[in-house]
Amino acid sequence: MVKFKIYRFEKGKDSKPRFENFAIKEGEGMTILDALFKIKDEIDGTLSFRYSCRGAVCGSCGMLINGSPMLACRTQVGDLIKGKLNFELKIHGPFAFPSINKIDSMEIQIEPLPNFAIIKDLVVDMKSFFNGYESIDPWFIKKNGLDNENNMSQKEMKAIEPYINCIMCGICFSKCPSAIRDNKYLGPATLAKAWRFLADSRFENKKEMLKKVDSHRGVWACDTVYRCVDFCPKNVPSTQGITAIRRKLLLNKLIR
Amino acid sequence: MKDNKVFSHDTIIIGAGLAGLRAALEACKSTNVAVVTKVHPLRSHSISAQGGINASLSVDDSWENHAKDTIKGGDYLADQDAVEVLCKEAPDRIEEMEKWGTLFSRTKNGKIAQRPFGGASYPRTCYASDRTGHNLLHTLYEQTLRRGVVFYEEFIVTSLIINENTCSGIIAINLVNGDLVTFKSKAVILATGGYGRVYNNSTNALINTGDGMALAYRHNIPLKDMEFVQFHPTTLYGSNILISEACRGEGGILFNNEGKRFMENYAPELMELAPRDIIARAIETEINEGRGFENEYVSLDITHLGKDKIMERLPQIHEIALHFAGIDSTLEPIPVQPGQHYSMGGISTDIEGRTSISGLYAAGECACVSVHGANRLGGNSLLETIVFGRRAGFAVAMDLKEMDFKELPLEIYKNEKLRIDRLIGAEGKERIIPLKKELCKLMTEKVGIFRNKKGLLSARNKIRTIKKRYKDISIQDKGSVFNTELALALELGNLIDLAEVIVVSALARKESRGSHYRLDYPKRNDNEWLNHTLAQFSEDNIRLKFKRVKITRFKPEERVY
Repeated sequence: MVKFKIYRFEKGKDSKPRFENFAIKEGEGMTILDALFKIKDEIDGTLSFRYSCRGAVCGSCGMLINGSPMLACRTQVGDLIKGKLNFELKIHGPFAFPSINKIDSMEIQIEPLPNFAIIKDLVVDMKSFFNGYESIDPWFIKKNGLDNENNMSQKEMKAIEPYINCIMCGICFSKCPSAIRDNKYLGPATLAKAWRFLADSRFENKKEMLKKVDSHRGVWACDTVYRCVDFCPKNVPSTQGITAIRRKLLLNKLIR
Repeated sequence: MKDNKVFSHDTIIIGAGLAGLRAALEACKSTNVAVVTKVHPLRSHSISAQGGINASLSVDDSWENHAKDTIKGGDYLADQDAVEVLCKEAPDRIEEMEKWGTLFSRTKNGKIAQRPFGGASYPRTCYASDRTGHNLLHTLYEQTLRRGVVFYEEFIVTSLIINENTCSGIIAINLVNGDLVTFKSKAVILATGGYGRVYNNSTNALINTGDGMALAYRHNIPLKDMEFVQFHPTTLYGSNILISEACRGEGGILFNNEGKRFMENYAPELMELAPRDIIARAIETEINEGRGFENEYVSLDITHLGKDKIMERLPQIHEIALHFAGIDSTLEPIPVQPGQHYSMGGISTDIEGRTSISGLYAAGECACVSVHGANRLGGNSLLETIVFGRRAGFAVAMDLKEMDFKELPLEIYKNEKLRIDRLIGAEGKERIIPLKKELCKLMTEKVGIFRNKKGLLSARNKIRTIKKRYKDISIQDKGSVFNTELALALELGNLIDLAEVIVVSALARKESRGSHYRLDYPKRNDNEWLNHTLAQFSEDNIRLKFKRVKITRFKPEERVY
């Protein structure tokens, strides 16, 4: 049996959150998402959490698992017990800490993503996250005069690709010290998106995009401690994107 | 729950996957559009699409070749006028996605790269490494934001409002606060995707419960060709997460437990690039006859492609195998088995997305135009979403000029509220998930890759029992905030209805064609069955009608690969 300690709260009903304990039998290859469903199916139907693809591509199920923000669908219960993952975590920042803590007591603690308002149990309100995203006008406008099936080098495509891989799960925002200080900070995911456009030679609106992120709530708020990169389940190099934008901005100022 | 709140928009689109968003982009040119979706748009199942999207871009290829492959791949059940539209429009739609910023993979010369895919006579599948759906969905979502499309996220649609053969709105629950609200509209487009979760071995997202098909069905709109369920040959053993056809397109090979490349026996010409129905049957046969591993799976080997190519072309597949099965695909083969993947059938529409109800349209997987016939080719579903999503949006924009908002009879809302309140209050004997698991197991066992009369009949009877038991379910969560148990209950209701339609349609079709393989009728029978099945709701029994397939230039031939 594995013990789960799960954060419970319902907006508008509970005055403060509490933890509840559940014990279930561990199955072969069981993920945290599977475990949550098992608890919901067999013990408590009122437990709420988000889910969709169950294959680590949709970004629905980011949550805090034993203190680390991870996708519930690709985190295996067995790995948490063994204290190691199927895959290696890459550590980028100067203050990196282990992203997976070995548990001795066979107890797994699950909480909603930090730095977001809570709607119910493990379901958070992602409005602040998506508001930042929408505020930069995150859409592509193609330069005039390019041919229809515009040419793009493989090198350029490969350079942009890591920034495109963001699944908007909010994990970066939940652990970013700048976002924790200022909830209106655009955040790593949005700035990675901005760089995705700025790095694209087909993109028309570079000036406007640079203006949108050139602020104390934009690229200048980043502490460059790579916390977002450490935790990103898709290895999106947001911090590298942010520093690249900063270089571009500084260069523009110098040239002017 | 509070009193009836009413939102008004010219056009309501249900579902925010590729078809829904593409329809929104078209309809918003001249109408006020809102998209109602049960998850955030970027969580839609389109995000999971891996391998690519077909278009005859090369001068050496042609729409005719694309159409011929599609029609043969679909075992001659596709309507050929619809396939013509699909294949002719494909290059324009790809160009448009490129214009909107989709980061397609490139050739050395900087052109959009294309890879070989199953059943295709030319490498015409455009791709963005193996995250094509992700790239396309982000692109379309960005463009809808640009055009000011309004989104109602985490709303579950419980009913369509149809009066005098005209659809004038929908009723939906706001999951966040539990409000049951009304959307008044001149047109509704259903773009809710497939029903994969009626099987327990589906590649689909957990949210794919055929909601739009079930909504339409309950309003007497015919569902077409529902017996045709695609089983993808290669899904990851254990979790059934999709392992893209692109693996085989790039050169991946299938082996059985004797180390034999068994596709030699089933499709000597195309081997691993035969259409999906043929490979799925081959793998199932190997496993059934004891040549699988652990009697469960076969091996998909891509190690010979080398690490560089795998990381460049199939990075997500590498990640999935590693994270979900602990397999390093650069060093060892991936264990795969067939799993439910796609619904060729759906809401019957014409090539403009119109249904039999005025003001109601459908596009994407939830619709059946039909372009896939009895078996869809890989790379054609993404194409269908943007071609027919756009056409449905365009049809709405045209038709809307002559449409007005209707007065909504208040009883419809009242009755729906009563139904939902009763459901939340349900204190019966049956639990939702165990009942759902029973249904899924039944469908996989009896209505899977191989079917026969006995199995189908027993499935039909059991589904009818499950339907009765569903009326006696209980819901523990009586709250109004993010009540996902209520959502699961509504979804189960949809799945049960669709399961019955699938089985009844499969029982009726006494032949084998494409994905529908009857052990008791193993041959295709063009004399009697070159027909679409149309299943329509009725209180006691499902009514079936049949409609001749439209054949234009490609006469049915024997299908060998």
